[in-house]
Order: sequence, then structure tokens, then C-alpha cells
Amino acid sequence: MLKEDAVTPSDVPEDFLESNALPQVPLWDVFTTFVRVGLTSFGGSTQAWVYRAVVERRGWLNDEEFLAGTAVSQILPGANPVNISLYVGQKVRGWAGATAGALGMVLPAFCVIMIMAMVYRMLAQYPLTHFLLIGVATAGVGATLAAGIKVATRMERHWVRYLVGFAAFVAVGIMHWPMVPVVSVLAPVSVLLALRRAK
Amino acid sequence: MDSRLWTLVLVFAPLSVMSFGGGQVIVSDIQLQTVVVHHWFSNQQFSDLFAISRAAPGPSTLIASLIGWQINGYLGAIVATLAMYVPSSTIFVLATTMWHKHHGSPWRLAIERGLAPVAVGLIFASGVTVLEAIHMSNLILGIGTVAVTTVLLYFTKINPYLLLFSVALFYAAVFYLL
Repeated sequence: MLKEDAVTPSDVPEDFLESNALPQVPLWDVFTTFVRVGLTSFGGSTQAWVYRAVVERRGWLNDEEFLAGTAVSQILPGANPVNISLYVGQKVRGWAGATAGALGMVLPAFCVIMIMAMVYRMLAQYPLTHFLLIGVATAGVGATLAAGIKVATRMERHWVRYLVGFAAFVAVGIMHWPMVPVVSVLAPVSVLLALRRAK
Repeated sequence: MDSRLWTLVLVFAPLSVMSFGGGQVIVSDIQLQTVVVHHWFSNQQFSDLFAISRAAPGPSTLIASLIGWQINGYLGAIVATLAMYVPSSTIFVLATTMWHKHHGSPWRLAIERGLAPVAVGLIFASGVTVLEAIHMSNLILGIGTVAVTTVLLYFTKINPYLLLFSVALFYAAVFYLL
């Protein structure tokens, strides 16, 4: 990535400049952003906190880039939180950014889980422990819903899109069908419909 | 390298490559490998590790770190974690490199527009799935917590740690008062 710091604007192809209109994000910022996100990600709420930190607060991605990133992160192999950190890191700083993002997501969480493993047997005897964990996980669901409502209401208003979104929700959330086949069917249909509308 | 460390790599690296759809899809394979194939744990020990990985923040596949730790201490934990994340992450970055290069191209915009509603549906689905898995003992408290946190996070810029800490404090109060 040092290479990129060294080039002058005239050497940079136009589309590159366009895609990196923002001032270059320091790798340290990528790392610390995902440290913070990683340590609040209880109850599967990672994408909600990523949305808040990366789209709303820092403006590294727009809504549609973020949504495409979450979809790709879920489909490709790997843990969703790690994949979304790779996606965002790569978008802002290439390979080095992807590495910084993933390290930020995994390292602190790794330390926390080791500490929890050491104290778990001690704490697991108390019913309060389980009750608090349920509370924190429930708050994570709130974070997920709030982010979902935000992106749903900001999405281009079109009944086909609402229908596709609802179908994805029912198939995976209510029917519990495996996600990969569901997305493999819905995504191409939705992309084709988006292409037709664009014409 | 120690043969136990190699075994950890051989257990987790293939699962990492196969984890299409996220970490939760390989948990049953991790159980099969560690309990049935390698006899590292009893079912009860495995479900304890699973409970810890669910309670901790971050990806659920960090259960690999716990397993590595049990098998070969801190070195085992590090090796298992790398085996869990390096293969899938390499595939992910290679696969999305082309994607990031074509910022603003028409086909990428069409894919983004097409994926967006699917992704929104999946976000709501993940919320519902977690809610089902939580096993709330008190339905009113649970729904109230979801409602209040949703509203707070939708309308305000509240600090995430402050929010999670307040919820934990509130639950502790409820626990002792009721």
C-alpha cells in the first residue's frame, strides 16, 4: 500500500481517483474501527454496528455498497463479521486495509473469548450471568432491526424491491431455508429486474 | 510443528473453505470432527465451549480458538484461529478484488441494486433468527428491550457501549427486584 502513497495524482487512472474521492483512510483507523465494532457485536448484530460506524459516521461506503457487501459476505465462505471487515477494509485500503479490518475484528474478540473461557465455569453457576447475556443479545437484535429499518426506508422505492426483500426475509427468517440456495435464486432475479428497470 | 497442531489445521482449514453462508453452518461439522472423529471432547464439554462462543462478542466460529486452546494451549488457540480464518479470508479477498476494481461500472451498479433488497431481507431474517435462539424467559421484557433499543438506535446517535452497559444494568436490576 505504500506504493499508492507515493504516486502523484497524474499517474492515477481516472476511475481510481473517482472510487477514492475521499482522503485516504489510515490503516490504524480501519483497525480501530473494527476493534470497536467487534467488541459490540453481541447477538449477531455485527452488520448493524458496521453500518453505523462505516456508512453513517465515517462515510466510507454508501448504502448500496454496504448492502452489496453484506450480501457477498454472507454468501462467500467465512464468518460474516470477518468477511464484512475484509470487504470494508479492502474498499478503503486494498489488501492492507482488508488485513487491518479483519485483525481488528478477530484479535480483541479472541482475547475476550479466552478470558471468558477462563471465568465461564465460575460465572456459569449464577443465573444472573445467563440473564445478563440474554439482555445484551436482545439489545443486539434491536441494533439489527434499527439498521434494517434504516436501509429499507432509504432504499429506492419500488414494489419489486419490497417484494424481493420480503421473499428473502420469509424464506430465511420464517421458513429457515438455507441461505445460500435462497440467495442464489433471488439475487439473479433481482439483478435482472434492476437491469430491466434501468432501461 | 507438533502433530496436534497439524491436526487442528487439518480440522479447521477445510471447514473454513466450506463455510458458505457463514460460521453457523459448520458448527455441526466442528462438533462431528472434535467429538466423534477425534474424541477430543464429550458432548457436554463441546456444548460448554459452544455456549461460551455464543456469549462472547465477535464471530461464532471463534469456537475454533477455544478448541485449539483446550488441545494445545495458547499456541493451539492461535493455530486453530488462523486455520479458521486465513483460508476463507483469502478466498473472499481474491473473489472481491475484481468487484472493488470496477467501482461505478454499469454491471456493478445493477448487481448492487439487485442485491440491496435481498440483503435487507436477510438483515431482518438474522434479527428474527437470533430472537428465536435467545429463549427469552420473560416475553414482555424481551419485546420491550428490542423495541426500546430499536427506537434508540434508529433515532439517536447513542454510544453502543453505553447502550449495552445500560441494558445489562437494567437486566441486573430486574433480576434482583423481581
